[in-house]
Amino acid sequence: MKTKKEQSASAIIELVDVSKEFDGVTVVENMNFSVKQGEFVTFLGPSGCGKTTTLRMIAGFELPTAGKILLNGEDISILPPNKRPVNTVFQKYALFPHLNVFENVAFGLKLKRVETTYVDKNGNEKIKYKKLPKEVIAEKVRKALDIVDLSGFEKRSIATLSGGQQQRIAIARSIVNEPKILLLDEPLGALDLKMRKEMQLELKAMHKRLGITFIYVTHDQEEALTMSDTIIVMADGVIQQIGTPEEIYNEPNNTFVADFIGESNIFTGVMPKDKSVRFCGKTFPCLDSGFEKDEPVDVVVRPEDIKIKPPADDLLNGKVTSVVFKGIHYQILVQCGRFEIEIQSTSAPEVGATVGLAIKPDGIHVMKKIFRVNQFTGVITKRNTVEFGDGEYECDVTQLYPGSHLDEEGYLITAKGEKLDLTDTEVNVEVGLHDITMSDNLDDSGIAQGNIISLIYKSEYYRYIVRTDNEEDYVLACEDLWNENDRVSLIIPKEKIRLTLKPAEGNKQ
Amino acid sequence: MTKTKTKPHFSRKLLAIPYGLFLAFFVLIPLLIIVYYAFTDDNGKFTTEYVRLFFNDGGDGFFGFFKSYTFKTIMRSLFISTMSTLLCLFIAYPVAYIIAKCKLKNKSVLLLLFVVPMWINFVLRINALKELFVWMGTYNRSDTWNMINTIIGMVYDFLPFMILPIYTTIIKIDKSYLEAARDLGATGARAFVKVTLPLSKAGIISGVSMVFLPSMTNYVVSNYLTFRNVKIIGKLIDDYFMGDLWHDGSFIALVLLLFMFLITWLTGGFKEDSETVGTRGTALW
Repeated sequence: MKTKKEQSASAIIELVDVSKEFDGVTVVENMNFSVKQGEFVTFLGPSGCGKTTTLRMIAGFELPTAGKILLNGEDISILPPNKRPVNTVFQKYALFPHLNVFENVAFGLKLKRVETTYVDKNGNEKIKYKKLPKEVIAEKVRKALDIVDLSGFEKRSIATLSGGQQQRIAIARSIVNEPKILLLDEPLGALDLKMRKEMQLELKAMHKRLGITFIYVTHDQEEALTMSDTIIVMADGVIQQIGTPEEIYNEPNNTFVADFIGESNIFTGVMPKDKSVRFCGKTFPCLDSGFEKDEPVDVVVRPEDIKIKPPADDLLNGKVTSVVFKGIHYQILVQCGRFEIEIQSTSAPEVGATVGLAIKPDGIHVMKKIFRVNQFTGVITKRNTVEFGDGEYECDVTQLYPGSHLDEEGYLITAKGEKLDLTDTEVNVEVGLHDITMSDNLDDSGIAQGNIISLIYKSEYYRYIVRTDNEEDYVLACEDLWNENDRVSLIIPKEKIRLTLKPAEGNKQ
Repeated sequence: MTKTKTKPHFSRKLLAIPYGLFLAFFVLIPLLIIVYYAFTDDNGKFTTEYVRLFFNDGGDGFFGFFKSYTFKTIMRSLFISTMSTLLCLFIAYPVAYIIAKCKLKNKSVLLLLFVVPMWINFVLRINALKELFVWMGTYNRSDTWNMINTIIGMVYDFLPFMILPIYTTIIKIDKSYLEAARDLGATGARAFVKVTLPLSKAGIISGVSMVFLPSMTNYVVSNYLTFRNVKIIGKLIDDYFMGDLWHDGSFIALVLLLFMFLITWLTGGFKEDSETVGTRGTALW
């Protein structure tokens, strides 16, 4: 890890503890990062994650609610946009419709004043601000248009240009001012796929040729991986990971990054010992270490890191459920017990065949699990209770449909008056850490029972993991001290069980 | 038995018939009547007598026209409408700009404050204004005051017609244009001059033509506010018609029509490019 001082030495721009609120809603939270001179940095994240807001703060259109923005070590947080040596390429280009191409590109140059020193009548040296001479402006515009491959378009009106051409003019209008940093806010979003791919490569080449620092915003992970030197992955206004495209892809910090970048299989597992991880009912050798014994972890395996072999005892065995040709490879789905695993391979097995899956140690990426909530898949029973994990609990099924109620026979009446039989409906079940209590009364029929396999002191409470006989793990928080290996039953109050409907098959994404 | 008759086919063109009739009866035919009266005498014979009368009213020769009463009235009308239009513009632009840019949620309420007076009968409002001038002692005090009062009346009457189109164009300007200008180094004031002002041009033109042309002929204002001492071209035509001089009056009306045509053409009112059509169309009518 570098210290802060070392970072700012080579950094052209640095954000220190920057936060932004709109009407009390935090959009960007405690952001810290720095960008090196000449780097191509991409903010990547789903829409609404705060990436555009961050860019607008660097441009000066939004002022941070807290924190500092440093440009070459100088605080520019509250400088207006016209005072910043930064130019923006806007999402919808924002080319001035009342000006032609030349006038658009020359807009910034015509506003520029150059400091010139001269000696006045009394022999004093004075500073005068002069406009750029017309020939200089014309020459610079010509060069900028040359860079974006639109020489000779000077006289054209903006309305006669195609989307791709407007895009190029927008870039020319920015780079002609020779900014220290070029900000690009999803500049390729409005172009069709083929044009976008071309422009990606062109932008990358332009970046190399000009040597200007590029800060790029996109929600397209492929675009980010293709173009960037460094990617900053954001979600909910918080930086999830900063790294090179390779690092982000191969070593995701958490399940969000793994899921957002590329295809991935994400499992819940435990680390019985260093360099060994157990998931899907099998133990695999891996390269990760430093976790506590039996600590729950998230495991990410990329589809291309799984090899299909003949079934064997030491492999994960399953049945092929689907094979789809994707051009360069096949996308294969294999059902292994409760788990559906995605595999990419250049050769395809028969659908319905039983195969063994081998994963090399370097294909397994283990990440610390951040526990917020216990998640299960459950089924509604005939008595309107829910079965999940290793037990059956009373629950409030009316929360599945807003405004609904139960009639005397136990059918659900929706707000529109439809009568539904929920028996055997699959639901997502969420139970908070603090909503499960342990009891040593083991007579209660139906509810889950298990042994405490781990307890960690977390300053305010102990965090327990209870494993049932069927290897279902429950994570819970309790202020009282229990002993490891105690057998307990788990009590969950009816109102604390949150149910949501599973999305219908086929439109999962 | 064979059916030879086909069902009457309803085409969209049929929808144009009501408008076509309206156009014929209320625009085209009256126009032709004016042209007819302007070039015929009492016996219905073709004559250019009224053309001669119009130009030679003040005396012989071509320059006689410039001394004529008609010419003076036209000049007076031009002066009043130019001043009224400029004043309207100087008041309306800042008002429209401020309403469009303010962060209030109910901008329309603010806008309504300027539009609501239009709901009260216009003669009533002008009379109220007259009473105000009487109370202030400026009513019919001198020729200059009569002129000033007329212009104030015109501005009061036509201000909403200037505010509305300018407001609609300003509110439609994408704020990314301003951000782009700021980003390229323009101060707030420069960005206004270089971006907002040119982009609201369509609204200004629309507003100007909606104030300038009517204020040339709206003689109700000048009559009420100046004890009939300021005569504008609309009043002149009225005077001829009242005195049963239909031919003289018609020819002046024709001249006025050509005049307005010229002004509309000069301000680009006939241009059909998408930029102005959109904003002009939605401006008010």
